[in-house]
Amino acid sequence: MKRLVVWLALLTCHAVAWAHKASDSYLAVDVQGATIVAKWDIALRDIDFALGLDADGNAEITWGELRARQKEVSSWALSRLDISRDGRCPLRVSGLQVDDHTDGGYAVLHLTGECPGTTGELGLQYRLLFDLDNLHRGLLRLTLDGGTHSTVLSPTSGLVLFSPGQVSRWNTFKQYLLEGIWHIWVGFDHVLFLLSLLLPAVLVVQQRRWAGVARFDMAWREVLWVVTSFTVAHSITLSLAALSLVSLPSRWVESAIALSVVLAAANNLYPVVAHRRWLVAFGFGLIHGFGFASVLAELGLPTDALALSLLGFNVGVELGQMAIVAVFLPLAFMLRNTRFYLRGVFITGSWLTLLVALVWLIERAFDLKLITA
Amino acid sequence: MLFLGSVRVFGLSVLPAMFMLALPALSAPRTPLDDAAVIERLPFKAGDSSAKLLAELRAKALKAPGDAELAVALAQAYFDLALARGDPRYVGYADAIVTQFAAAMTPDLLQMRGILRQYRHDFAAALADFAAALALEPERAGAHAWRAAIFLVQAQYTNAGGECAALLRLSRPALYGGCAGLLQAYSGQLAKSQFTLQQSLSLTQDPDQRRWLLTRLGEVAAWQGHSAKAEQHYRQAVAIGRDDAYLLAAWADFLLDQRRPAEVVKLLSSWDASDGLLLRLAEAEAWLKMPAAASHIQALDDRFAAAKLRGDTTHRAEEARFQLRLRNNPALATELAAANYQGQKEPRDARILLEAALVAKNANAAQAAADWMQSSGFEDVRLRQLAIDLTKLPAVMKQPVAKP
Repeated sequence: MKRLVVWLALLTCHAVAWAHKASDSYLAVDVQGATIVAKWDIALRDIDFALGLDADGNAEITWGELRARQKEVSSWALSRLDISRDGRCPLRVSGLQVDDHTDGGYAVLHLTGECPGTTGELGLQYRLLFDLDNLHRGLLRLTLDGGTHSTVLSPTSGLVLFSPGQVSRWNTFKQYLLEGIWHIWVGFDHVLFLLSLLLPAVLVVQQRRWAGVARFDMAWREVLWVVTSFTVAHSITLSLAALSLVSLPSRWVESAIALSVVLAAANNLYPVVAHRRWLVAFGFGLIHGFGFASVLAELGLPTDALALSLLGFNVGVELGQMAIVAVFLPLAFMLRNTRFYLRGVFITGSWLTLLVALVWLIERAFDLKLITA
Repeated sequence: MLFLGSVRVFGLSVLPAMFMLALPALSAPRTPLDDAAVIERLPFKAGDSSAKLLAELRAKALKAPGDAELAVALAQAYFDLALARGDPRYVGYADAIVTQFAAAMTPDLLQMRGILRQYRHDFAAALADFAAALALEPERAGAHAWRAAIFLVQAQYTNAGGECAALLRLSRPALYGGCAGLLQAYSGQLAKSQFTLQQSLSLTQDPDQRRWLLTRLGEVAAWQGHSAKAEQHYRQAVAIGRDDAYLLAAWADFLLDQRRPAEVVKLLSSWDASDGLLLRLAEAEAWLKMPAAASHIQALDDRFAAAKLRGDTTHRAEEARFQLRLRNNPALATELAAANYQGQKEPRDARILLEAALVAKNANAAQAAADWMQSSGFEDVRLRQLAIDLTKLPAVMKQPVAKP
C-alpha cells in the first residue's frame, strides 16, 4: 500500500486536479416574518453514502427505495440544519420530490417551519455530511423578508447570521428597474401606442399634406413633450394603483389601452389632434399606468422597500422608453422626407397598428381569442 | 411599416427564443409516477468485490474510531478510488476521516493530509504537512516523492532535485529514477529523461509503477516527436488494464494531437462522468461534427458553472481549454490559463496559456510561460513553435486586449 502512495505521488498533482464535481447540496430558504418555506436538494449518492438507499444492491436507486426511507432521510437531514429567529424554528418535511443536477439525481425535500420571532436576525447552522465528506458544501440562497442573500456553507462556517437590514437597497432598486425596462419592451400595446404618437413627430402638415420637419430640434421638442407627458401620466396612475389607492377592473383597463392605440393610429391617418399630441399622451398615459400596475402586482412589491421599488420600476419603464426613442428618432428623422417613410412607415404602419389594436380591442372587450395567444 | 413589422417579428419569434434560453437551465423538481423509476445510478454495486472491501474497511473503522492506522488505510482507499474514477467525492470522504484526527497526527496521517491538501491545490500547506511527517520520520520516502511532485508542478526544479536526491540517499533507485526522469524532462533534457525512465521501468514489475512509467515515457516520446514510440508506450500502459484517468487523458491528448479524434471517441465514450475526460471526448466529437458534441459541451458548461458556484478554482486549466477550443472565447481562455499558470507550471499548463494567448493575440499574457520555455529549455517541438509564433505577433498586438 505504501509503495503505491509513493508512485501515485509522482503522478503529479495535476492529474488529480478535478474531474467529477465534489458534493454540494442546494438549499433555498424563504423566510417571511416567522414563516419558513424551503427547498433542499440533496444528492442521492450522498444520502446513499450516509444512510444506504440501495436496498437491493443493484447500484440503482429507485423512487420506491427513496420513498421507503423518507422518514429516516428527513430526520437525518433536519438534524443537520438549525434555523433560528428569536429562538429555534422547528422545521418539518412537507414533501419529497426528485430533481437532476449536473452530477446526477437529487432528492428534493420541501420544508416548512415557524419561528418564535417575526423580525430581527436569522441564524442558520448547516452540518449536512460534514462528518463524512469534508469537501461537501451547502449552497444557500436565502430570501429574508424580501432581500436575497447567497453563501457557500463549509465545515468552518459555523453559525451564520443574516439580518434583514443587510439587504442592499440598491439591489432592490436595480431589480425593479430591470423589471421596468423589460416590461415596457415586452408590452407591445404600450410600445405601439408610443410609436403611433412618435411617428408624426418628424412630420408637419403642409398644404394639407404630410411633409418632413425642417430641423431636428422641432422633432425633438415634440418627442420630449409627448414622452414626458406619457411618463408623468402613467407614473401617477401606476403609483396610485400599486399603493392600492385606486383599482380598476383589468378587462376595462386592457380594453381602454387597446382603444388608445386604435385612436392614436387613426389620428395619424385622419388627423383630429395635430398639435397638442402631448395632451393625448397624457390622457391615455393615465390608462397605461393601470396596465403597468397589473404587471407590478404580479411581481409583488416588497413591503419594506415599497417606495424604492416603485421608483425603480418607474425609472425602468422610462429608461426602456428612452431606448426606444433613441433608436426611433434618428432613423425617422433621417428618412422623414422619403416616400418610404411617408407612405410605407407612416401611412401603412399606422394602418397596420390600427388593425392590430382593433383586434386587441375586440378580444379584450369581449374576452375572445382571435390572433394573440 | 418595416419598423412596425420588425416589432411584430420580435414579438413572435425572438422573445419566445429568449425565454427558452433562460428557462431550460432551471430544471424543476418532479414526482416520479412509478416506484420502480430509477432516479440515480451508483458507481458500484454493493456486491462488487472492490465495493465489498471498501464497505468492510469502513465498517471496521467505524467500530474503532481512534485507530489511526485503520483510518489512514480507509482514507487511502478512498483517495485511490478518486484517482481511478476521477471523482472528487471520495477525496471529501478521505478528508473527513483525516480531519477527525486533527489533534493527534501521526506521520501517516500527516502525509495523507498533505496528499489531500495538494489535491485542493493548497500546495504550501501540503508541503508543510510532508515536512512535518519527515521531521517525525526522516526515512519516509513517500513524503519526499510528494514534495518533489509539488515542486515540479511549481517549476521549482532546484527544490525538486533536492527531493530526488533524498530518494537516492534512502536507497530507492526505482523511485529516484521516476523523480529524476521527470525532472530531466521538465528541465529540457528529453533524451536523458527517456533513458532514466526506461531504466526505472526495467527495475520494477509492479503493475501500478509500470503503468505510471509507461504513461510518462509516452509523454516524453510525444514531446520528442517520436509518435510511433509514444503510441507504443501508451498502448502498453493501457494494456495493464486498470482504470487510470490520468493515463486516459494523456493518451487522448496524444490522439487529438495526431488528428485521430475517432479513436478518442471510442476510447472515452463511457467516461463522461469524469469532466477532464468529458472535455477530451467533446473536443473529439466537435471535430467530427457529431451530434453528441452539443450536449456534452452543454454538460461541461453546466459543470463549470456548478464548480464556480461552490467557489472551486482548481480546474482553470481545463476551463481555459474548454473556452478556447469549444467555446471560441480566446480572451476568457487566456485569462483562465494565465490565472492557472500562477499556481501550476507544468508543460500542459504552459501549452494552453501559449495557445490561448496566440489566438487572443495577447503575447503579454503568456510572458510567464514564454519565460519558462527560455529558462527551462523545455524541448517539445510544438511548444517551441507556439512560443516562436507568439513573438511574431505584430508589436501593437502585444498589448493586452481588452477583457470582454
